[in-house]
Amino acid sequence: MKSALLAAAALLSLAAVPAAAQNITAPDAVVPEGITVEAVMVHGATLEGNLEGNALEREVMVVLPPSYGEDPTRHYPVVYYLHGFAISGRDFYDYMQVPTAVAENAAAGREFIVVVPDTLTAMGGSMYSNSVTTGNFRDFIATDLVAYIDANYRTIPTREGRGLVGHSMGGYGTWVVAMTHPEVFDSIWAQSACCISPRRESVESATAMASVPRDGVDQSGFGMRAGLASAVAWSPNPQKPPFYVDWAVNADGAIDEHVLARWAANSPLAMVSSHITALESFDGIGLDVGDKDGLVRDDTLIHQELEKFGIDHEWAVYEGTHTDKIGPRFKDVVLPWLAEHLDMGE
Amino acid sequence: MLKFAIGALGAAALAIAAPALAQEQARIELMTFHSPALEGNLEGNDPERKVYVVTPPGYDEDSTRHYPVVYYLHGYWMPVEVQQQGFQIQEAVQEASDNGNDVIMVMPDGFSLRRGGFYSSGPTVGDYESMVAEDLVSWVDANFRTIPERASRGLAGHSMGGYGTIRIAMKHPEVFSSIYMMSACCLPPQPVNAADAARIEGMIEEDVANAGFGELAGVSTLAAWSPDPTADNFLKAYTGLQEDGTVEKLAEYRMAANSPLVMLPQYLPALESLEAIAIDIGDQDFLLEGNRAFMAELDRFGVEYIFELYEGDHGNRIRERIRTSMLPFFVEHLDVMARTAEGE
Repeated sequence: MKSALLAAAALLSLAAVPAAAQNITAPDAVVPEGITVEAVMVHGATLEGNLEGNALEREVMVVLPPSYGEDPTRHYPVVYYLHGFAISGRDFYDYMQVPTAVAENAAAGREFIVVVPDTLTAMGGSMYSNSVTTGNFRDFIATDLVAYIDANYRTIPTREGRGLVGHSMGGYGTWVVAMTHPEVFDSIWAQSACCISPRRESVESATAMASVPRDGVDQSGFGMRAGLASAVAWSPNPQKPPFYVDWAVNADGAIDEHVLARWAANSPLAMVSSHITALESFDGIGLDVGDKDGLVRDDTLIHQELEKFGIDHEWAVYEGTHTDKIGPRFKDVVLPWLAEHLDMGE
Repeated sequence: MLKFAIGALGAAALAIAAPALAQEQARIELMTFHSPALEGNLEGNDPERKVYVVTPPGYDEDSTRHYPVVYYLHGYWMPVEVQQQGFQIQEAVQEASDNGNDVIMVMPDGFSLRRGGFYSSGPTVGDYESMVAEDLVSWVDANFRTIPERASRGLAGHSMGGYGTIRIAMKHPEVFSSIYMMSACCLPPQPVNAADAARIEGMIEEDVANAGFGELAGVSTLAAWSPDPTADNFLKAYTGLQEDGTVEKLAEYRMAANSPLVMLPQYLPALESLEAIAIDIGDQDFLLEGNRAFMAELDRFGVEYIFELYEGDHGNRIRERIRTSMLPFFVEHLDVMARTAEGE
């Protein structure tokens, strides 16, 4: 009965459709018996003053393992799981069936708290970057969120007790948050990470981006919105409303190389060589991508860059697309792998 | 056992002897400390680092007093001993003391095989950034009577050291509370074109040994910011040069990722957390334009700073200004008393 429900939920997930604001939604996740889910609001002090008016109170899904309520002295490792572009934290949690992942791993003796924060913004995603326009989401994950979870749950409140995982834009976030806040997380895994190589533009594509009206963002399409979200995250300009951004094309209609340099400085591929100490400090690093995912080339590039610098890591290309195996691999590959690396308490 | 007793006796004798040797002047000592962050670098830069430490007058006598610390990062090209010969940093500590302000000042060795590590982090040159922000600060706090708190630590530097100052302030805002950039180099991103890449790829050891300041600086920064442990060239740097003579842009992207002007928006929270930022430069300095571009970015993002343009070139007034401008700035902005019990 339980498995039939799961299968039905999985089918519904695949059928998830974009809603009015072009964001992906999913039916509620199955919550297996024994699992407790709390949806809490976490204040982002690091997000205060952002120019897009993105919410400072962020919804965070906290999934507690079965023994959490029974053993009031036990402390647990925490896995922070970052969602992708154009989806809320809650919809991502639903789509990936996070409660089932926690339940099945607990049944096999691996008990985690899994935390899914929401970073949806006006452009469809924070890029987990620091920006006066978007809000300082890089710092939000590493400071506000971790501090809140450690203060309100029985966590193992040390680096050894924390893992960071993300999908797509969240995979990108995993790289940049980990490289710039290595003192916070012990082990990391990027699933189908986006935005590995520096983003480039032609005059035509940059001009098209700069021509989107502020009230036309929601209708501009997934690709265009992803470009807009990248621009406001990586080349913010507090003096240029209404987007508060420097476009990749300047007033003369030519490509602005300084803007592209700023985007490049936010690319994990360009960051690796100056963050070797941080990368070597992790107990474990993993990355994977589906063979039918357009991002396989980019993710292969960062795998090769890690190899070049002798950074140990797990790397897998599996049969799948950008989305169809993410939840199952989080449950069957990523969490069991994290159990071998994190301080599991007991 | 006997040895131990003698050792203890010796220590007791020293403790008694100390007050007799009154420290009336600022005292500079050349010491060494170990930097785990530099272990394993491919240039063979020594993890045993030289460091000048200046203690203020009265340091020996008053064994309960703790002091704020100013870390000073020297520039490119000259070894730390030559930097000290030129800049005489103990003069600044003496003058501050004469004015009633006692501080400790520290200048670590930032030299490398290619004449400067740029206080950056990479496998070819080594992690000079952590050498300063972690290993050096821990060693100073463990071996001198410092106030071991952010509010009582300042970071300053000249030229390459000015670059190191802003870089380390961005990446380690928890360590230092105020910074002073003197004639900072390398603020805008450094382009890597095909001609530069071909020139560097064509160099042999002898060319590098004989290279002039400007020529070698391009090599040293590439080794620092675009390292490649698997490179065929002896520099262990990636230029991006392809067989067809074009240049692949990854080298340039990596340079951008190490440029303070480019990095600034991501590190704005770190800069905003600083108590004070000072920038100065001579009006005839070849780096004036880069400093102006950097300040335009600070202005755009609303970061406050103090700026002084003075009559001078890149180096002719540094010795004087360390004494008359830089150290007085820190006297004003650093806490001279511990904020927490831990600092006592």
